[in-house]
Amino acid sequence: MHTTRRSLLVALALGVLSTGVLGQTPNLSARVVIVCSDATTAAYTQAADALTDSLVRQGVARADISRALVPDMAALLQSDSSPRASIYVALGGEATQLLVSRNVRVPVLSALIPRRSFERILRSSGKLVSNQLGAIQLDQPLARQLALIRLALPQEKRVGVLWGPESSDKAAALRILASANALELREATVSLADELPSALAQLISGSDVLLALADPSVFNSNTIQNILMSSFHARIPLVAFSPAYVRAGAVMAVYTTPVQAGNQAADVVMGVLRGKPLPDHVLDPDDFDVGVNVHVARVLDLTPDAQALRLALRRLERLERLP
Amino acid sequence: MKSLDIRTRMLLAALLPLALISTLLATVYLLARFDDMQAAYDQRNRAVVRQTALASEYGLFADNLSQLQALAAGVMQETDVRWVAILDARGKLLASAGQPEKVFAAPMSALEMQGFVPDQRLDWLAQPVNPSVIALDDLFETEGVGQNQPPQQLGQVVMVFSRQSVDARKRDMLVSGAVIGVLGLLFGMALAVFLSRGVIRPITRITELVERIGQGDFAAVDKLCDQTTKHDPLQELQSHIHLMAKRLSQARVGLEQQIALATQALREKKDEAEQANVAKSRFLAAASHDLRQPTHALGLFVSRLAQLPHDHQTGELILNLDASVRAMQNLLDGLLDISRLEAGAVQVDKRPFALSGLFDQLQQALNAESVEKGLRLRVRPTRLWVMSDATLIYRVLLNLVGNALRYTERGGVLVVARQRASGQVDLQVWDSGIGIAPEHQQAVYAEFYQVGNAARDRTKGLGLGLNIVQRTVNLLGHPLKMVSQPGRGTRFTLSLPAVVGQPDLIEEFPKDKTVPDDLRDRCALVIEDDALARSALVGLLVSWGMQVAQARGSADAFDCLAQGVVPDVIVSDYRLQDGYNGMQLVHCLQLQLGVPTPACLMSGDTDPGLIQAAQTAGLTLLHKPVRPAKLRSLLRHLLKESSVQRDMRADLA
Repeated sequence: MHTTRRSLLVALALGVLSTGVLGQTPNLSARVVIVCSDATTAAYTQAADALTDSLVRQGVARADISRALVPDMAALLQSDSSPRASIYVALGGEATQLLVSRNVRVPVLSALIPRRSFERILRSSGKLVSNQLGAIQLDQPLARQLALIRLALPQEKRVGVLWGPESSDKAAALRILASANALELREATVSLADELPSALAQLISGSDVLLALADPSVFNSNTIQNILMSSFHARIPLVAFSPAYVRAGAVMAVYTTPVQAGNQAADVVMGVLRGKPLPDHVLDPDDFDVGVNVHVARVLDLTPDAQALRLALRRLERLERLP
Repeated sequence: MKSLDIRTRMLLAALLPLALISTLLATVYLLARFDDMQAAYDQRNRAVVRQTALASEYGLFADNLSQLQALAAGVMQETDVRWVAILDARGKLLASAGQPEKVFAAPMSALEMQGFVPDQRLDWLAQPVNPSVIALDDLFETEGVGQNQPPQQLGQVVMVFSRQSVDARKRDMLVSGAVIGVLGLLFGMALAVFLSRGVIRPITRITELVERIGQGDFAAVDKLCDQTTKHDPLQELQSHIHLMAKRLSQARVGLEQQIALATQALREKKDEAEQANVAKSRFLAAASHDLRQPTHALGLFVSRLAQLPHDHQTGELILNLDASVRAMQNLLDGLLDISRLEAGAVQVDKRPFALSGLFDQLQQALNAESVEKGLRLRVRPTRLWVMSDATLIYRVLLNLVGNALRYTERGGVLVVARQRASGQVDLQVWDSGIGIAPEHQQAVYAEFYQVGNAARDRTKGLGLGLNIVQRTVNLLGHPLKMVSQPGRGTRFTLSLPAVVGQPDLIEEFPKDKTVPDDLRDRCALVIEDDALARSALVGLLVSWGMQVAQARGSADAFDCLAQGVVPDVIVSDYRLQDGYNGMQLVHCLQLQLGVPTPACLMSGDTDPGLIQAAQTAGLTLLHKPVRPAKLRSLLRHLLKESSVQRDMRADLA
């Protein structure tokens, strides 16, 4: 009795969704199901669109691709009528969390997710990356960021890095990469928010360029203004990891757009659909853009060209991959 | 004063609302303006503090003390700022500027705070300094662990502002508001005065107009009406007043005419009445004069006749005749008294006198009449003295007692004098007569009024007695009261002022009785134009033993003197036919004789002027009909005086 009523409610909810919100009929027999964390964040929609388009271009019937939001998906999974899917693509942390927590029996690919978020989900669910659970992280590889510094600011050798609680595990890897790139690494650790001003002041005094690494406890909307101001006052360029930082005043950043992420996810999905297992490690984003704040660059007497830098970086990575 | 009142009222009516409204408006707008100024001051202060907080954000983040100090110094340039302090997140003072009267150590707070120190007129504001937030719409941010972390407060800015300038501006505004209000009020007052003049002037004019109308000056209406202008707001009222005044004037003229007519009519009536009165007096005078002559003669004849020897029957007839003549003479005397009283010719000669003499005389005069009527006349002897005119009092008593005897059929009449505690002597005349009904008690004093004598029986008198009594006591100023009950009798009470007895002044009423008959062989000149009267008088005098020369007029009299007659006494009629009157003739005769021969005048006239003139000339005037007794007494008196004078002249010689 109870279940009958719930299924009725779910059917009703789906009916409403199908005619209104998404505009696309969730096909229960679809082979690819895209689950978006959030309908309001444009990045997920763009990524989902890019993923869908890419799949369609590669021969997947549009009808076999269905899309759902986290709450709807949760409802579907709750009912017995779980979709007949070949693979789930979770865009964002919430979608990943949902699919990981429900033991779906098909492979799940998580995309558009910061490395820290994915690792936290794994920790909380006790799972590991496997052929049933793969991910394409949002964080750029450290080598790419260092390469950008080297390309864009060839004179600056001393690279300052603020380590926070969520980023300090990369310190060792960065030190190796820095020395490999003939860069001098200056580090400061911020374990408490209070320490930021002094740590920053100390770091700025000994650095030519600041490299921001994603760590919300250090770089967030409250702190970024004063970090940027400090670096700007000291005429030290800040190289960041997202276009928002470029808009806020960072001189440049290397990042992956949602479309690029969607396209990369489509490639992985196609592999799965073609019978390949999911990669057993977290994938780095393979495509990226370089953003430059021209105004800030001009004030700092820099003239970086974003497009040229992107091309140079891609060229460099391909060169490096070739051998 | 009235116009001033009107003006004041109008000014008040115009100015009170104006003053009220202007004061209210000024108050409301000033209060609103003060609120605005205060709000602007508060907002500006808050804005300055916020701005300072914003500006000090990076300095606080970077711990840049010099920048903060410069900022604080810069903020001090803002108006009203007295003190600026920038504190770090732990409350440590990093930078400050200005010198506060007091250190404002506001506690660290994430909220905006403010306060006011009233005694120093200082405001303090505390503003937390928070890092600026830049929205980072990247996926790292939304996925981050610290996404909902509250911003870390960097520090606090505390500033102190002074309200001095705001207060000064408020004061200025209050002063200017007051000045504007006063100016407005003055302007309003001037305007009200100017406008009210247009109303007050006509009102004043109308007030004056009404006042002058009130004083009876109706001509003022036309004059004022001419002065008015066509634009007078009270033109209509003025014209109505004009109309009213006109009507009033006409009504007054009409009334005056009516009054004049009525007055004229009254005057005519009065003249008629006076003429009638004069005619009555004249008639009375004429009638009494004409009656006197024959009565006079008749009396003299009867008196002469009585002296002749008669048989008993004739003697009785003569007695009756004498009584009738006396009654007639009394009537004429009454008329004469009235005439004299009316004329005011009666001279009052008040002096102390003993009532006893008066009473004796009264008893003698009326005893016969009472005995005749079978009544008892009692005059109770008295030793009281009074202050009055004895002759007039005697006339009064004579009338009262005569009246009493006349109206009493049984019993008697009592005359008494009583001493009162008030110092008055009451002379009372009691009778047991018919009495007077209350409704007649006032009327009995009227002329010719008689109770119970509708048939006008003239033996009962003419009805003049009480009238004479009243006129006489009024002249004397003595109160007279009457108490009467019909059928029981009447009591008259006359109050006289009492005096202490003066035995040396014994009146000489009874003297005549004792003097010896010294008329015999004396010579009398009788001048009388009426033959009958002359004959009667001469006969009478001759019967008294006198030698009589008689004259018809002045010519005869002078002839007598020329024939060598030297009269001892002259008895002359007053009214003579040949130009002289008695007085002039006596005077001429006396001149002719060369000695003041005593003389007396006789007249039927009751003319008051004549009585006065006779008194002035020192001549005794006898009114006709002359009583033989009276004449005899007078002649005796005159001759005695003349002999005394003659003796004195002889002694002197």
